Amino acid sequence: MMMKKLGKLVFLSVTVAFVAGAGLADSTLEQFDKIKGRSYHASFYDGESCDVCHETNRATSLPADDACQSCHDLDSLVEATARPAGEEGQNPHDNLHYGRDVPCMECHGEHQARQHMCADCHSFEYPNFKE
Amino acid sequence: MKDKDLNQKDRRAFLLGMGAAGVSAAFAGPVLAASGSEPESKWDREHEIVIIGSGFAGLAAAIQAKKLGAKDVVIYEKMPVLGGNSAINGGLFAAPGTPLQKKEGVTDSADIMAGDQMKAGRGVADEALLKHIASRANEALQLTIDAGAEYFPYLQQLGGHSVPRTYQTTVTSGGGITQPLIKECRRLGVKIVNRAKFEKFVVDEKGAVVGAVINEGYYFGRGRKGKPVRVRSQRGVLIAAGGFASNVGLRSAQDPTLTAEVPSTNIPGATGEALLEMFRVGAVPVHMAFIQTGPWASPDEGGFGYVSNYSIFNFPHSISVDVKTGRRFMDEIADRKTRADAQLARRDDEGNPMPPVTITSYEHAKAHPSVKKVLKYGVGWKFDTLEELAEHHGIPFAELKKQVDQYNTYVKNGVDEQFGKSMEKAKGKFIEAPFVTVRNWPKVHYCHGGAQIDVQARVLDSSTWKPIPGLFAAGEVSGGTHGQSRLGSCSIPDCMVMGMTAAETMMSA
Repeated sequence: MMMKKLGKLVFLSVTVAFVAGAGLADSTLEQFDKIKGRSYHASFYDGESCDVCHETNRATSLPADDACQSCHDLDSLVEATARPAGEEGQNPHDNLHYGRDVPCMECHGEHQARQHMCADCHSFEYPNFKE
Repeated sequence: MKDKDLNQKDRRAFLLGMGAAGVSAAFAGPVLAASGSEPESKWDREHEIVIIGSGFAGLAAAIQAKKLGAKDVVIYEKMPVLGGNSAINGGLFAAPGTPLQKKEGVTDSADIMAGDQMKAGRGVADEALLKHIASRANEALQLTIDAGAEYFPYLQQLGGHSVPRTYQTTVTSGGGITQPLIKECRRLGVKIVNRAKFEKFVVDEKGAVVGAVINEGYYFGRGRKGKPVRVRSQRGVLIAAGGFASNVGLRSAQDPTLTAEVPSTNIPGATGEALLEMFRVGAVPVHMAFIQTGPWASPDEGGFGYVSNYSIFNFPHSISVDVKTGRRFMDEIADRKTRADAQLARRDDEGNPMPPVTITSYEHAKAHPSVKKVLKYGVGWKFDTLEELAEHHGIPFAELKKQVDQYNTYVKNGVDEQFGKSMEKAKGKFIEAPFVTVRNWPKVHYCHGGAQIDVQARVLDSSTWKPIPGLFAAGEVSGGTHGQSRLGSCSIPDCMVMGMTAAETMMSA
């Protein structure tokens, strides 16, 4: 529970950097001891806090579809990735095919590089998307 | 409360409630390889109506069942996202006798629409099903509008249709229908569970389908099969699981020309295992080799993409030309099979595919919002002169010029002397600069084959030719309705009407 709160604090500071630092298409994958993870989640790896995302600290199961949303506010994400007029439906967090229902891990991977789902059919550019 | 919250609340309540929701015996220990021989009492869950698949057919069925008083409806969806292939198609909905037809002065009827479909079906379509669907298409359209779907304020005339009768969602995708329907399902209290894959039926000693084994926690494409749970259904199981266009093995077993080299417009999850399970409990396979390719697709993008809708809208006032000759080679609004076959015959001297080029005046192309996306994402091109167009695509200019001039006399006279195309939607629309072009090449789009159903959406048994008790099917997973070639925009009314019909049959039993 304490880690969840810490996670939220860390996230808030990263949000600012994320919105301000546009145009970075690189990966944020980093090696933390035996496992790869995201640089902005470094604090979870310090404390081996797998349970921030996984149900137990053994990390034997995949996180729940809404696990990321215990720290990341969906409304804020929708706002941050809003698309210009005429392309509203291309917002990855609120799009015309699936609305807000796409589980985060269908586009984002914490421990591995991933491609966003839209790329299956479309050549959209999401400059802030980290592989 | 936000939809997402509702969904997850639903889901949690549903999972927590598994011990109390009328389950006759909690299941402990490993689940046996399920079959009809297992004791019926071993259930993990029980529901009034169980629906497999969250596309048009499943969602329409759930809403209709609720309207008819069902208290407990569950939809299982194997994919992480809801809506199936319905969420990514073109959002085109054909119906006769609609308000827009009245406004535009179009004379039409269920018999005329079914007649067009019979013609495209080349003598092997199911007339009773087509008439039933056409007669209730307007009602189904209204159901989507009542749920919040929005359509353009004009009609389109698609290939093979004798009159304009097609609505299209303003977002030019079926997502403009599935999203409102999902919202409506949640409002009505339908339980929707994602990552839940239908595995097999549970059949009683009399051969009736009384439940299903569902793998919960299934992760598509990630090697996680999930945990099997046995779900009892009081009123039967509706299979609304779509087609198998993404199952290369299954489709090329039916039609050896459809190898992995032929792309598909479908979601990766359109793999057909629920259909195969229906065959295992006795369903009649119909028309499995009739697999449609979309003649409006583009080799320059993935999936359905943007060119598909662009081409569907623009074909009536465009010409499609062979790159090698600069000449037209088909009626641009013939039915899908006619056009796809004609396109596949466009080859270079070595026999390699040579996708034809479709030419439209920008003036008329721009009437549809897709044109902006087509140009922006580099899957279509704009030219100020015919010379530039010919040079870019490597088309012989003199022949192309001759063809354009010739075609423009057809526009003027209202008669296509080359291919007999209906010029209704081409009136006054000359092929003039500036031009927009796209390249077209067919992609596997729709599986006409599936399990045979009757007009009450009951699945027939190959040994008795009577309905298999407790088993229903609707949408693309059912077979035979459209015969050899389904007309564009006729799948959504099929899915919606047969989904509604299935719910009515289940509720009246």
